[in-house]
Amino acid sequence: MTNVPVSRFRNFSIIAHIDHGKSTLADQFLRWTDTVKEREMKQQFLDNMELERERGITIKLQAARMNYTAKDGETYVLNLIDTPGHVDFSYEVSRSLVACEGALLVVDASQGVEAQTLANIYLALEQDLEIIPVLNKVDLPGAEPEKVLEEIEEAIGLDCSNAIMASAKMGKGIDEILEAIVNLVPSPADTTEEPLRGLIFDSYYDLYRGVIVYFRVVDGKVKVGDRIRLMASKKEYEVDEIGILSPTKVAAEELHAGEVGYLVASIKAIEDARVGDTITLANQPANSPLPGYKEAKPMVFCGLFPSSTDDYSDLRDGLDKLKLNDSALSYEPETSSAMGFGFRCGFLGLLHMEIVQERLEREYDLDLVVTAPSVIYRVMLNDGEIIEIDNPSQLPPPQKLEVVEEPYIHLEVITPEEYVGGLMELCQARRGDFKDMKYFTPTRTTLIYELPLAEVVTDFFDQMKSRSRGYASMEYNFIGYRPNDLVKLDIMVNQESVDSLAMIVHRDKAFSVGKSLVEKLKELIPRQQFKIPIQASIGNRIIASAHIPPLRKDVLAKCYGGDISRKKKLLQKQAKGKKRMKAIGTVDVPQEAFMAVLKLDQ
Amino acid sequence: MATDDCLHNNSLMISGTRAAYIHIPFCRRRCYYCDFPVAVVGDGGGRLNREQAMRRYAESLCREIVLTAREFPATGLDTVFFGGGTPSLLPIEALDAILATLDRSFAITENAEISIEIDPGTFDLAQLKSYQQLGINRYSLGVQAFQDDLLAQIGRTHRYDDINRAIAQLRQAGIDNFSLDLISGLPNQTLAQWENTLENALRVSPPHLSCYDLIIEAGTAFERQAEAGKLPLPPEETAADMYRLTQQRLTQAGYEHYEISNYALPGYQCRHNRVYWENQPYYGFGMGATSFLGGKRVTRPRTRREYYAWVETLNHRENDLNRVWERDPHDQLLETLMLGLRLQQGVNLDAIAQQFGSDKAKRIIDVLTPYRQQNWVDLAPQNGQQWGRLRLSDPEGLLVSNTILTQLFHAFTEEMR
Repeated sequence: MTNVPVSRFRNFSIIAHIDHGKSTLADQFLRWTDTVKEREMKQQFLDNMELERERGITIKLQAARMNYTAKDGETYVLNLIDTPGHVDFSYEVSRSLVACEGALLVVDASQGVEAQTLANIYLALEQDLEIIPVLNKVDLPGAEPEKVLEEIEEAIGLDCSNAIMASAKMGKGIDEILEAIVNLVPSPADTTEEPLRGLIFDSYYDLYRGVIVYFRVVDGKVKVGDRIRLMASKKEYEVDEIGILSPTKVAAEELHAGEVGYLVASIKAIEDARVGDTITLANQPANSPLPGYKEAKPMVFCGLFPSSTDDYSDLRDGLDKLKLNDSALSYEPETSSAMGFGFRCGFLGLLHMEIVQERLEREYDLDLVVTAPSVIYRVMLNDGEIIEIDNPSQLPPPQKLEVVEEPYIHLEVITPEEYVGGLMELCQARRGDFKDMKYFTPTRTTLIYELPLAEVVTDFFDQMKSRSRGYASMEYNFIGYRPNDLVKLDIMVNQESVDSLAMIVHRDKAFSVGKSLVEKLKELIPRQQFKIPIQASIGNRIIASAHIPPLRKDVLAKCYGGDISRKKKLLQKQAKGKKRMKAIGTVDVPQEAFMAVLKLDQ
Repeated sequence: MATDDCLHNNSLMISGTRAAYIHIPFCRRRCYYCDFPVAVVGDGGGRLNREQAMRRYAESLCREIVLTAREFPATGLDTVFFGGGTPSLLPIEALDAILATLDRSFAITENAEISIEIDPGTFDLAQLKSYQQLGINRYSLGVQAFQDDLLAQIGRTHRYDDINRAIAQLRQAGIDNFSLDLISGLPNQTLAQWENTLENALRVSPPHLSCYDLIIEAGTAFERQAEAGKLPLPPEETAADMYRLTQQRLTQAGYEHYEISNYALPGYQCRHNRVYWENQPYYGFGMGATSFLGGKRVTRPRTRREYYAWVETLNHRENDLNRVWERDPHDQLLETLMLGLRLQQGVNLDAIAQQFGSDKAKRIIDVLTPYRQQNWVDLAPQNGQQWGRLRLSDPEGLLVSNTILTQLFHAFTEEMR
């Protein structure tokens, strides 16, 4: 480690939309500063989860410390703090931005500003960060740098006269960016003499060493052997190891104000060292924690059930292990008459939900049956009691209900002007209240709506993408609860009510949703040897019905020497499909049926 | 030594192999339902070229037989089956050479069943007589339907008159061990037409009948038409009724319904095909053919060019066949069930209990209990046996055999986890 004064530290992050080239740019910095040797270079060094690489998005943040010799001849320490790039993780983004003094705003020169970028740049502006605009991919044929710069100026009010033209892929503009970081991003305040305050911007659980905390020393200093206190969780630990991220861990003796690094202290659970918590010294604590700490609050819920009941304990172990690393994940046991034993799980948003499901299936080899996502409803009963419901099947019967309230969000959609009509139709169909429409260039528009979160957690995102040919982007935040005329829609398969298919809908939409849902289930549930009625009802009133005709013939006529392997494979495939089915009485219902509500043609 | 043990096992297993399938891929054209490995040779001019191509194929076949026999010797073949394709297109000398090679390599036993598939319109009386001289003693005639319009719609080259001529020639040659192939559930086929087909077939009194419910196979013309919504298949209920009618008519006429799609008068079941269903080993020769040797099923390349290249490699490398694979008992159990439940005799649960453990026999009974209550599965006690014999009921159980097998596969795959 080089000994560099705080005045030559620069802490920065990169704000960019998915695919706008953040990871490529970060790789270039690592290469340019010789932080990672060429031969060690994996593409997109910062995204180190397999899932992230596949999806090309950053979920868990990472940091990298680089030594850069600037044109003034001095050596600077540049700390890049990566941010996750998805709406579900805006709290994590805000914490990593707080750990910086500056941010690069990277915008694809042909795509322009996206809703996500905008939301994050507002977060950065709130923190008074120095923002350096960078136009990436300027070498591509579709690049329109002038237009995009105008857009940035219009949308954010940011002076773009010194914007840097770059191509991260070709290495163009990298030196200019590094110089700009050195010259424009302020150095951290030198508060080494004050009591320790360290901001946790990420943490993860290591099987052998416990929680590894990534943090920024805001004030004071910390060294190996110090007894630290986490001000939100109120837990105390002795520091076993401390160091910097380069981007792999390099141990150090001490970290002082302005530095970014990691810390190991035999912390048992990630909940004890959550993002946003403040680290101080136990024997010389700071007066107040750093501002901005928030409890993680799950917004989207679904039931997760093992397709084979024997796997229940494996599922619990899997969730326990993921939870070690994911403080935003919540779960509690759920028993469903249709699905048996499983868990009701809460997530920050849809992507978070998908990631957890995929990791359970992939890393813990589980076959899951997942129910359609839902939100938390707030219900006032007519005896005055107020209850919260995260599972539609728990909604009490109508005669007991006084008011049902549902969460609302503020939604911003940025779209090329020609798709405005289709997107407004979509928002309208999803019970949206139109608030505003802004043009920041003649051809790009922001639509602002308020709408129920329940309408967004289904297939809203996919619909938005398909109605805008992929060009629109969105960002939302929770704004509170509002009462609505909501009813529970029950689904019966072969005369049996299936609790996992129950849903809460607005009364005005109940009929059309019920009708398309029974039709969809008719398509998705395989035929059996008997006729299967499917019905949708509100209370005792049946509002829609359909039936699945019986299977009359399921035989393979030819099976000779050459057919045997093929026939066996076919049966194995069918048996495997069965594994993902749940028996509702005598009817086998496939996993897709429980997600049918996401695929309705509304 | 491990190696010696291997060889020892190997020879033990191979000496049990007593059946050989020979694939003759040549066809005048491809039928619309067919997904077999075939080589279309057309029926226009160029007879010499055609025959040359066939001789070339027969040479490779013989070479494969000889090289295989070196690795996997046998002490006698009880059944030989020439399937296709259209084996009756093959020049007689080529057939002679193949049979002679088989005999030299493995010894065809005296009472061996030697079958050949023949198509109406591809042979004459003289050819049948030559077959008889070669020792071929069982003939499977690809009739499929007796209605010219249906025959045309499924891409067959022969017509009603060709069928009658073919049967007359079989009679004239004094051949009484023959079978007719028929297909039900064809596009536009009515129940009345199928009944007519069965009547026509019964008038001939063949000692054996194969009646197949049409399968729409991947990659066939029928599949493409079906996907385009242009294949007027009869309703599923009607196709099921055709299957029931077949069972009713043929058993009334004295035929044993010995396998899902096969019927025979007493003493005329196809011995070769029973080898498959009883999960016994067999040789397989020719393009696209599958062999089951040393516990491993190997399928040969499906084009002539690749097959020729493959045969060449047999000589100088350890080929795919050259390994004894200890088969996973789980796989063996599933195959035994999948194949055995095709047969009228069903599966002997005591044998299963002995080979795979009595917990398996018990599990099978548990899984199938709901189907027994529906009378799709029948468990017949056997004298002096603990578990009894399990079979699918005829015709209702057989009609949904895939559903029942899927349930068994599901149960045992779950158990494996």
